[in-house]
Amino acid sequence: MMPDTGNIRPFSGKAMGIVCGILAVIGIASFAILLSGGHPERAWQAYLINFLFWSAISQGALVFSAVMHLTRARWSRPLAGVAESFTAFFPISLLLFLGLFAGRSYLFPWLEMDLHGKEVWLNLPFLFTRDGLGLIILYMIGFVYVRSATGARSVKDADAGGPQRRTVLAVLYVLAFTFVLSLLGYDLVMAMDPHWYSTLFGGYTFVKAFYIGLGGIIILAAAVHLRNGEHSPFEKKQFLDIGKLFLAFCLLWADFFYCQFVVIWYGNIPEETVYVIERTMRAPYRMLAWGVFTVCFILPFLILLNRKIKTMPRAMIMLCSIVMAGIWLEHLLLIGPALSGHGEGLPVGIWDVGMSLGFLGIMTWVLVRFLDRHPESVTAAGPLADEKEAQ
Amino acid sequence: MGKRFVMGLFENENAAVAAVAAVTEKAWNVEKTHSPIPSSALAEALKLKKSRVGYFTLAGGIFGFFFGFVLAGFTATRWDLIVSGKPIVALVPFFIVGFEFTILFAVFGNIIGMLTQARLPNWKRDRFYDERCSGEHFGVLASCPEGEEKNLAGLLTAHGGEVTVHDA
Repeated sequence: MMPDTGNIRPFSGKAMGIVCGILAVIGIASFAILLSGGHPERAWQAYLINFLFWSAISQGALVFSAVMHLTRARWSRPLAGVAESFTAFFPISLLLFLGLFAGRSYLFPWLEMDLHGKEVWLNLPFLFTRDGLGLIILYMIGFVYVRSATGARSVKDADAGGPQRRTVLAVLYVLAFTFVLSLLGYDLVMAMDPHWYSTLFGGYTFVKAFYIGLGGIIILAAAVHLRNGEHSPFEKKQFLDIGKLFLAFCLLWADFFYCQFVVIWYGNIPEETVYVIERTMRAPYRMLAWGVFTVCFILPFLILLNRKIKTMPRAMIMLCSIVMAGIWLEHLLLIGPALSGHGEGLPVGIWDVGMSLGFLGIMTWVLVRFLDRHPESVTAAGPLADEKEAQ
Repeated sequence: MGKRFVMGLFENENAAVAAVAAVTEKAWNVEKTHSPIPSSALAEALKLKKSRVGYFTLAGGIFGFFFGFVLAGFTATRWDLIVSGKPIVALVPFFIVGFEFTILFAVFGNIIGMLTQARLPNWKRDRFYDERCSGEHFGVLASCPEGEEKNLAGLLTAHGGEVTVHDA
């Protein structure tokens, strides 16, 4: 079946707006209930996890478009268009980051600790300034890049700039992505245990973001494909190829995890091992650690060895959703012991799920709004208009 | 009735693919194709059965993974060298050996699969082979019943082929 070069069917409508609105209300209500209950730290923990998780999806998804542009890939053109739609979450991500300041007394346990010299780096004004500036720069580059890419698809925008300009922006975005994501990983996850450190944690954070970014693209592309039926802009081989990329990043994620783990295991220094022991050997996180490893690595690795399943949009939606839920739990595994300690059960419940649903509603709404405003984003494979001219 | 072979040499992949499709449509046989590069388009046009080489690779990889663990464990138990209280048979570092052996034996399996499935080595020289197929030409060797070779040659020529007719 040949892909359709026309515009895709719009997603947004009254029903979609109502569903997303209900999900957002559930999220806000869940946050309020957790906040007013006996454990406000749980509300802020879920807030932080969701901020990191949903921001990473949007940041990682755009890296796909930038990398595809830099490698001059033509096969992935409609998928790159889908990836660019995730920039619609950037402003919300920035607002959510600023919101972290309100929960600072719950989110930064090092505020009341003796940091033995680390206070030069770990202090609130400097943390919010550097991370905030980093996010602003990352998102600005992302916006300009996407404006150029969407403009090149649209005859209306003559100021989009040529492919060379996009190449510069793509390089800048990838560099800013690795730098800012490393910074967020060190500041908002690793620093929760301020005496523990891993130099690979930054790399691990941005590889993970790319991994779930690909998951987000596959889910959205599969949804567009199923909605448009015969007129889908996607071909099976595109799902096959991005499925292979998803498998590759599943392996890379596990590789980065293992690279950190094996060094700590060999060194056997109490200051380093305590972090791993708390998360993999002590209740209630022991089972969660194995669950995360199974869901994020073993399961997708075994399933994605199969060629056919990568071309089945419904199956890939399910698999990517499971993997992404696993990464959400991985954030809980990293942050939970530092913020909620080792209680009898895992520090997660129905209200945490409610908050995540709220974020899902917001993400879905901004994505469908973007795709409806820029249906030309999801065009067929091949060079863009200005790339043809440049050849 | 005898069989005739017609070799068509094409200067580009698209023409060779179109010729293969045209020959199979007319109920003649495509005996062999030669390509200077790996061509997925030709493989698709020939409608070949799925290759079984991947199963050899998978089997090699699985065997290698466990073999790596067993080998590391076996060698570690030959001389119990205890370092900073680590167990003699320690699964965490043995994973590296298991992983490397997975790759090594997957490659072995892949080569064995390729040799057995492609029936290599084949010492007999293909008498229809044209050396230009190792350079810049695509070759399509088709067969037809005696008397139809002119039609077959005409079809290949119509697709831009340089044609030679051979007896069986």
